[in-house]
Amino acid sequence: MIDVRRARIDLEAVVDSVRRNDAGAIVLFVGTVRSEEGVRALDYEVYRPMAIKSLTALAERAKDKFGLTDVSIIHRVGRIPVGGDSVAIACAAVHRAEAFAACAWVMDEVKRIIPIWKTEIADRPDRVRRRR
Amino acid sequence: MRIQVRLFATYREIVGSRGLTWSARDGLTLQELVDGVVAKYPRLAGHRDTMLLAVNHDFAPSDRILQEGDEVALLPPVSGGAP
Repeated sequence: MIDVRRARIDLEAVVDSVRRNDAGAIVLFVGTVRSEEGVRALDYEVYRPMAIKSLTALAERAKDKFGLTDVSIIHRVGRIPVGGDSVAIACAAVHRAEAFAACAWVMDEVKRIIPIWKTEIADRPDRVRRRR
Repeated sequence: MRIQVRLFATYREIVGSRGLTWSARDGLTLQELVDGVVAKYPRLAGHRDTMLLAVNHDFAPSDRILQEGDEVALLPPVSGGAP
């Protein structure tokens, strides 16, 4: 399952999307909006058609590279409050080592190549800034 | 020919629009298009070194020759995923 959506991420549905009888391990990574002084939320902006295309290609690369049985990547966009989930990645493999390694690699690639940008929403309007 | 130019994040704020329709001669390269956009919006010049370029939803080299109807995106360094 690949998606970029404004709605909250259903983590159980993400896990279930990669659940298969031949997979002995599912690793779920969840990225959340971290609390920082003066920040109440992050606004995520996306170039959606390119993001979907890039995420789909990334999932295929991950399957090939790590021998995964399946992978799902869901990114939330729009305004997400502190503590909210921004991204979920589920990697399923026959054994756990491949699933752990793949999940870390996929997240690094998401940050490196997927066209999504975030802006901090501050308690005070004069403190808006972009976050890398 | 006409090229659709998409702008995001900082670039959208600088230009004041999510997109532009750019009229150009046939054979224009991506590099030449970016040079033209930066010349029209000089505040983009400081971002030129880190600007990522895409054509029709794929990253593209600056010597790519553009075609009628192409969608070009000027992308700031990406920052998706977990904070």
